[in-house]
Amino acid sequence: MARMKFLCDSERCIECNGCVTACKNANETEWGIQRRRVVTLDDGEVGKEVSISVACMHCTDAPCMAVCPTDCFYPTEDGLILHNKDACIGCGYCLYACPFGAPQFPQQGAFGARGKMDKCTFCAGGPESDPVLEEQKYGANRLREGKLPLCAEMCSTKALLAGDAQQVADIFRERVVYRGHRNSAWGSADHEADQSEQLAKNAADLAYDATQSV
Amino acid sequence: MRLHKKVSDSSLDSQSANRLGVSRRGFLKGTSLAAGGIAATGLLGKTMIRPTQAATPKSSAPVEIKRTICSHCSVGCGVYAHVQNGVWTYQEAAFDNPINKGAHCAKGAALRYHGHSTRRLKYPMKLENGQWKKLSWEQAINEVGDKIEQIRAESGPDSVFWLGSAKFNNEQAYLFRKMVSLWGTNNVEHQARICHSTTVAGVANTWGYGAMTNSYNDMQNSRSMLFIGSNAAEAHPVSMQHVLIAKERNNCKIVVADPRFTRTAAKANQYVRIRPGSDVAYVWGLLWHIFANGWEDKQYLAQRVYGMDEIREEIKQFPPEVVQDITGVDEQTMYQTAKLLSDNRPGCVVWCMGGTQHTTGNNNTRAYCILELALGNIGKSGGGANIFRGHDNVQGATDFGVLSDSLPGYYGLADGAWKHWAGVWGVDFEWIQNRFDQTEYRGGKPMNTNGITVSRWVDGVLEDKEKMAQNDNIRAMFYWGHAVNSQTRGPEMREAMKKLDMMVIVDPYPTVAAVMNDRTDGVYLLPACTQFETYGSVTASNRSIQWRSKVIEPHFESKPDHEIMYLLAKKVGIEEQVFKNIAINGNEPLIEDIVREYNRGMWTIGYTGQSPERLKYHQENWHAFDFTSLRAVGTDAHGDFYGLPWPCWGTAEMKHPGTHVLYDTSLPVKDGGLGFRANFGVERNGQTLLAEGSAPVGNEIGDGHPEFTAAMLQQLGWWDDLTDAEKTAAEGKDWKTDLSGGIQRVAIKHGCAPFGNGKARTVVWTFPDAIPKHREPLYTTRRDLVAKYPTWDDFESLYRMPTLYKTIQDRDTSAEFPIILTSGRLVEYEGGGDETRSNPWLAELQQDMFVEINPFNANTLRIADGDDVWVYGPEGGRVRVKAMVTNRVDRDVAFMPFHFGGEFQGEDLRKRYPAGSDPYVLGEAVNTVTTYGYDPVTLMQETKCTVCRIEKAA
Amino acid sequence: MEKSRSRTSVGFWLVMLLVGCMFSLPVVAQSQGADARREALQSMPGTTPDFWRDAAGGVSGRTTSQSVGADTLIMTEGERWKEIRNEWISPGGLLALGGSLTGITFFYLLVGRVKLEHPRTGKRIERWTRWDRVIHWYVATLFIILALTGLSILYAKWFLMPILPTSLWSAWMIAAKNIHNYLGPLFSLGVLVMIVKWIKHNFFNLVDLKWFIKGGGIVGKGHPSAGYLNGGEKVWFWMIVFVGLTVAVSGLVLDFPNFGQTRETMQLFLIIHAVSSLVLMAAAFGHIYIGTLGTEGAFEGMKTGYVDESWAKQHHDLWYEEVTQKQNKS
Repeated sequence: MARMKFLCDSERCIECNGCVTACKNANETEWGIQRRRVVTLDDGEVGKEVSISVACMHCTDAPCMAVCPTDCFYPTEDGLILHNKDACIGCGYCLYACPFGAPQFPQQGAFGARGKMDKCTFCAGGPESDPVLEEQKYGANRLREGKLPLCAEMCSTKALLAGDAQQVADIFRERVVYRGHRNSAWGSADHEADQSEQLAKNAADLAYDATQSV
Repeated sequence: MRLHKKVSDSSLDSQSANRLGVSRRGFLKGTSLAAGGIAATGLLGKTMIRPTQAATPKSSAPVEIKRTICSHCSVGCGVYAHVQNGVWTYQEAAFDNPINKGAHCAKGAALRYHGHSTRRLKYPMKLENGQWKKLSWEQAINEVGDKIEQIRAESGPDSVFWLGSAKFNNEQAYLFRKMVSLWGTNNVEHQARICHSTTVAGVANTWGYGAMTNSYNDMQNSRSMLFIGSNAAEAHPVSMQHVLIAKERNNCKIVVADPRFTRTAAKANQYVRIRPGSDVAYVWGLLWHIFANGWEDKQYLAQRVYGMDEIREEIKQFPPEVVQDITGVDEQTMYQTAKLLSDNRPGCVVWCMGGTQHTTGNNNTRAYCILELALGNIGKSGGGANIFRGHDNVQGATDFGVLSDSLPGYYGLADGAWKHWAGVWGVDFEWIQNRFDQTEYRGGKPMNTNGITVSRWVDGVLEDKEKMAQNDNIRAMFYWGHAVNSQTRGPEMREAMKKLDMMVIVDPYPTVAAVMNDRTDGVYLLPACTQFETYGSVTASNRSIQWRSKVIEPHFESKPDHEIMYLLAKKVGIEEQVFKNIAINGNEPLIEDIVREYNRGMWTIGYTGQSPERLKYHQENWHAFDFTSLRAVGTDAHGDFYGLPWPCWGTAEMKHPGTHVLYDTSLPVKDGGLGFRANFGVERNGQTLLAEGSAPVGNEIGDGHPEFTAAMLQQLGWWDDLTDAEKTAAEGKDWKTDLSGGIQRVAIKHGCAPFGNGKARTVVWTFPDAIPKHREPLYTTRRDLVAKYPTWDDFESLYRMPTLYKTIQDRDTSAEFPIILTSGRLVEYEGGGDETRSNPWLAELQQDMFVEINPFNANTLRIADGDDVWVYGPEGGRVRVKAMVTNRVDRDVAFMPFHFGGEFQGEDLRKRYPAGSDPYVLGEAVNTVTTYGYDPVTLMQETKCTVCRIEKAA
Repeated sequence: MEKSRSRTSVGFWLVMLLVGCMFSLPVVAQSQGADARREALQSMPGTTPDFWRDAAGGVSGRTTSQSVGADTLIMTEGERWKEIRNEWISPGGLLALGGSLTGITFFYLLVGRVKLEHPRTGKRIERWTRWDRVIHWYVATLFIILALTGLSILYAKWFLMPILPTSLWSAWMIAAKNIHNYLGPLFSLGVLVMIVKWIKHNFFNLVDLKWFIKGGGIVGKGHPSAGYLNGGEKVWFWMIVFVGLTVAVSGLVLDFPNFGQTRETMQLFLIIHAVSSLVLMAAAFGHIYIGTLGTEGAFEGMKTGYVDESWAKQHHDLWYEEVTQKQNKS
């Protein structure tokens, strides 16, 4: 059974927001709903700035699921966390529980009127048997067509990978090997050789972790 | 940090209402289900993708898949557009396109919205008593045509200014130049003037052609890259795919030299912060170390470069301490960079507007070239001067001469050039001459002298006409696909607009020109459609020509540009001449015929082998082209480079593969090899200007040689290689003017480049600065450097206009305006932003115009992140924007993006837009505060280095 | 016989409810183990230690998204909040409510109903004015509705969802949320009015101290003296003042998220709201018990406004004297 995952390679992410608008393109979410966003940490700090594209991580033991009063979330056999908008009451708890700020609400109105929660579906639609309705409610179901989420497919630098967790981790590991084995530190500054080896080792460890935690 | 306020309600309401275009949802609502479904494609591909599980029922309508090219920048990303019943319902990643492999930035990934955008111009309109009034096309063309005829009669043809566009496809660009030429003026321009004109001038005068020498893809082979004045991550995001692959695979070292720590700099091995406007000194500083350590490529310099000794002399005046004083970069950093670039060859240099948009722009571009020549990087895979162009077809529009200083193909404006094109067009030369004002002004006839530039049309309107080298001021302006807010000196522009007799805006969107003009009458809006509503070819930055298919029919009442040109030409009575060789369907000229016509004339730069059939074949076979080498494997295009990057010599029948890497001597010319162009003579000061002991593989002359002429063929004894028909055509001609292509064919047959085999020159003796010099910006905060590095004296006439230098620089503004102001791109928007700010998927991401301020200045001025501030320019302009407090800029510099418009010095112009066509996001244009300053070679405007004062807004 | 059977059956149901609550405890507490760090490590690997320190520390960066908190990559508080809510408040609430019910049940089983010691005299004394009753029942009704809907939001997915058809379940939950959100402010208003109206009766005095020492009559013999309101009622009042207002205020913060509250603010107030309302509910069980089942003759006071003389004498002797003296004077 495949387990679907996103992986954002921060060494390649340039904050072009291609993933953000690709998502809009695929899912036609309304103004104000960004299922995916790019966050840049240490913006403008030489040698430290890092950009990461983030959306729903489709967590194992998803916190949103744990706190949802109506149990509108459900895991799929691909390891995705999808949700049922019919059951959503717009309480916002999933947003308060989610470490990644993935759940989006169309409004922040008086009397807690938030509308139905919307979040990344990994372009896998939602619980609606009529495909047209499904598309209107949840956006594209590309997975069913054998396609991956449009954000990853359109990523300008192939920083954002999506797909079977094992395969995604393999791609990433291959990159790390390329970056690491020539003592080429991949950071922003030119590092001394020993530091460079250490960084390469760190990167290799991270890559290993990425494959293990699948 | 958030700088955003919610977009005003009214703007959102009309988003959902007023939806004349059809969105996918709207479309799906109206259709029932059936099986459809599209097989998946994959790159990275086979590992990432899952097998297709089932065909998805989506809609009963059959899916047509159209191949097109993103219209937002020069990278030229391929796009799959899925169309159902004429509606663009899906956009898929084109994994098989060799340039982008499916990748897109924010703009490319939001492309489909243009397919149902509602904020477009919907029908022709004119401003009458301050109100927009709907017109029929016929009425609009008649009124506009009558007016320009009247101006022509009163003031001559030069009083109508034709501002064209890099958004045209090649055919439209060519047609536009041709139409304006036959109207009888050289007052025709497009964005290249304010984009890479200094590059084209500087680079072409260094080694022959002014274009990007290698390609985005070829950068995968680089071992080092110097980005100077380029923020590729935000301006050309998909190019970063290739850059980062090089970094990953080759351990390529990336150096970013920029006043601002950009997203590109974040990916660099070394970031160097230089003072705006100090590029020449910076490059000289690098060369100082390179020469001091003997790192230059001596054999290469001896064989292929002229004049490096003169450069060595100049560089002696730029020892490390001087360089540090001018640029702000210390000796150690300079040394490290120089060593990095020397140790890691081949390497390339990348520059964009940060290098070109300066009063010293042509000096900068030549300095970059000289650096690469010294390192021996030009003409090598992985090396090169990778000049990233801006608009999707700014390369093509430049090649087709939508510029005031040349006919298509850089033929220039001399009588010979006119005769060549008259021959191609089948139009009588004298008839063309008579279309022009025959008077001489300052020693030249308008037909043969450079017209006014886009950067100076404001002066063309406002200047005392006695001081101009043409009969009268500009009285009518066509803004045919142009964002006026991308031009400097906003307040004066507003005055100029007010003074004009007529403004005609031909565009899919109303543009800022429609609202900032402060007029109540005499503004026409003609809705042009986008490139997705027509078809044709587009030249990417790497000279690859890609074919676009029509995705959807023109929206509302919009028309393709070439149809509008036909209507106008017909109205002014020149359609017979303009369209002599071109079939007209209804009112629409046949694109393929236009291609065939320019194929017959564009010999200089090899736009001759790219027949419509070959281009379409490449379009249909994206998958066959290699991602790194761009060469096709298999299919009928086997061996071709993707998009037949020019020069693609000879006729299409010759099957030249195009030239991927310019000046690469490791390949035979017939396979895409070249030496440098022998364009500057054969000898100067007793030294040869021809290559010595270097020639493309298989060159039968084996050494340098001049460009080919009929006489030369005879001397070499190759004349009889021509067929009889070719002989007739070639007699007395040269490789540029022989319409049979015979001279080119025979030269290439013998392994010779038709344009000769010369040396690159580091000294351009025809330019104001033969050797590139550091000159202080006109507005500088370093007054102490002005005496040593002064600007030029004022010029009496450049491109028909008096042009000021010293007069401006003499005014000391440094006390009042202590911060340098520079400008640049945001990834979400393009150009003036009229189109992208009207795309809600993009507009949502950047809702406020802002200025980047260093925390030091912000704290001193008591400005907090997100505060409203006023930014004042030294020529009286001011803008109200949000403050972004960030270390991206240092304390000497402030930065503003240039995509905003629709607010003017605190005034909101939203209500002035025709109803329902206002962009979602408006903002102050940075160019309201930018200032005077033009490059003396091309009249490039200065946008990257002026000064300002920032105050917290009350 | 009749009486004892009814007492047994009430007791039975209370015990069943309690067992039900206990049974769902492990279910509620079961969810755990989501780990933001691990998820992030899988999805954003290969970054520098700086990045990890910042990301895991919840440092905010820049983003073009305008959602609340979008500039924070990893909101570490979310996990803590989830833990507090699911592993402490949910089970804790059940324990509190269950504990309250247990206590009442045992109390009922052991002590039984406090009956009128003397037969009714038939003379009725006005105890609650019309306005008193209106405000009481207004607040009480809203309280019950809010409690039921609130409990639904906290617990219903464990016991209601499995037994309801999906559409009905959704409909109920949507209704519950909207009812809760729209009635909440009205409840708050009622509480406020009630406090203002009754505060004058609710200052403690020595009599109350004695009342407490006697445990309201449970400890020792004889009924302790009490004025218009006894110590227990005053405690209940002040609970409403402090806990009730906490519930109301925290509820309002949650109910109007349109003032740019951060996620962290909302988390905090959700915890406060849940804890305080659960406490209030647990206490309310006692109030309800005493006011209905636990005390013969109490309920009619709030129902009709009048109590029997015997009841007044027994439970509020000082007030009775006061009232009768006043009547005598007039």
